[in-house]
Amino acid sequence: MKVEIDDQLCSGHGRCSILAPEVYRLDDNGYNADRGQIIDVPAGYEAAAALGMRNCPEAAINAVD
Amino acid sequence: MSQPDIRSSDHIAGGEALKARYGRDMFNDFDIDDPQFNENFFDILDEMVAKCPVVRSNVGAGYWMVTRQQDVRRVGQDWRTFSSSKGYMPNRPEGLPYLMPEESDPPKHTQWRTTLNPYMSPKAVATYEEQIRADANTLIDRFIDNSECEFVSEFGSKLPGWAFFKNVLGVPIDDLDMLVTGVENGTFAPPEERAGHFEKVFDYLGKYLAERKDQPPRGDLVDVIAAGVEYEDGNLAPWEDRVSILVDLTFGGIATTTYVMAGAIHHLATHQSDREALVDNPELIAGAVEEFVRVFPPVVALGRTCTKDVEVAGTQMKEGDFVLLGYGSASRDPRVVDDPTTINITRDTVLHSAFGVGQHRCIGSNLARLELRATFEEWLRRIPDFGIKPGTAPVYETGILRTMKDLHLVF
Repeated sequence: MKVEIDDQLCSGHGRCSILAPEVYRLDDNGYNADRGQIIDVPAGYEAAAALGMRNCPEAAINAVD
Repeated sequence: MSQPDIRSSDHIAGGEALKARYGRDMFNDFDIDDPQFNENFFDILDEMVAKCPVVRSNVGAGYWMVTRQQDVRRVGQDWRTFSSSKGYMPNRPEGLPYLMPEESDPPKHTQWRTTLNPYMSPKAVATYEEQIRADANTLIDRFIDNSECEFVSEFGSKLPGWAFFKNVLGVPIDDLDMLVTGVENGTFAPPEERAGHFEKVFDYLGKYLAERKDQPPRGDLVDVIAAGVEYEDGNLAPWEDRVSILVDLTFGGIATTTYVMAGAIHHLATHQSDREALVDNPELIAGAVEEFVRVFPPVVALGRTCTKDVEVAGTQMKEGDFVLLGYGSASRDPRVVDDPTTINITRDTVLHSAFGVGQHRCIGSNLARLELRATFEEWLRRIPDFGIKPGTAPVYETGILRTMKDLHLVF
């Protein structure tokens, strides 16, 4: 499973990382450290990744084929 | 001022039904300061988000309010079309200085946020946790032997200010009460009095910033505010902008978190199973905090100004129109939150707009979450069983911000 974090939309709510810290990391400003990139979801954390994704108030995280 | 050009018949019919119930057509003749809105806050928001994507107010110069989460998100994210530079307040009183960086757009807004963000990140605020817990306990110590308290004046209106002033600003604690009162009155006093209250707060913080500028740096947020940022024209931010930054952060930190605390404590006082669940399982508190933020939005709505003619959810807006982002209604949108009228402290999808959307996302959101979590952990540890004092009921005040003024508890 891969997800993409939109770097224009990420505004540092931090919900992704609160809910799925194994998938989503924050930088020192509290914004997604991988924004602007596509990341691989570690095996077994697909549900966590989806939880973080749907809790983003900006809809900044999307699944990628 | 523009008149609604495209309004579906649903809006009109639905609005007339509300007129019978509340004395005014809440869809087409809204007033965010109407006492009926204060008294029937959840009901009216729920009607709006279900039936009226764009509410119309004709108060003063008039304004729109966008109610659905998807549209609030779109408007909040599109800063080019919906500018913050004419302010967040509908019918802004004359003479009120602009709050920075809240009432500015990129690139100026971005310059400031880039500088300020590191000091309000989850990592930065985590260093305040011990002090916040200690302060929560200090406040509880003062009333725990009384078997009763008035939560707002004895705890909820104090802790956020203490947390912010002690840890973030380093302002003398003795000056806190004056600042808290000034911000509260600046928000909730009769409109014609608000500017005067804000001015006192501006004056104090201006003096404080000037004093700090001349002192050795402490390595904190106040240092970087005093130093200023470089604007696009190559000049350093003028002094009044730097003072305004300090006021904006202060305002955000005081007038808001109190309501989430009070709303949550009221819910726990009246819902034994939720209270017991959190007492027995403190690891659930973080999730409950987010649900309480969703349901008790201190910021009901903040505004933008259209930089061009634009259609939003079937309503044609004109350049210059003022548009409120309905954060309170968007946080109750059944299209994105399952059964939004229910307070469900273990729900797994807590989509809300209580911290705003877009670049202006509340810079204090991480501190707010920490204050709330630490408050509930300490409170439930020390006072696991509490209720509402018989014969009392909470009192609210609502405008673009909402708060609870009074909450009498017994334990």
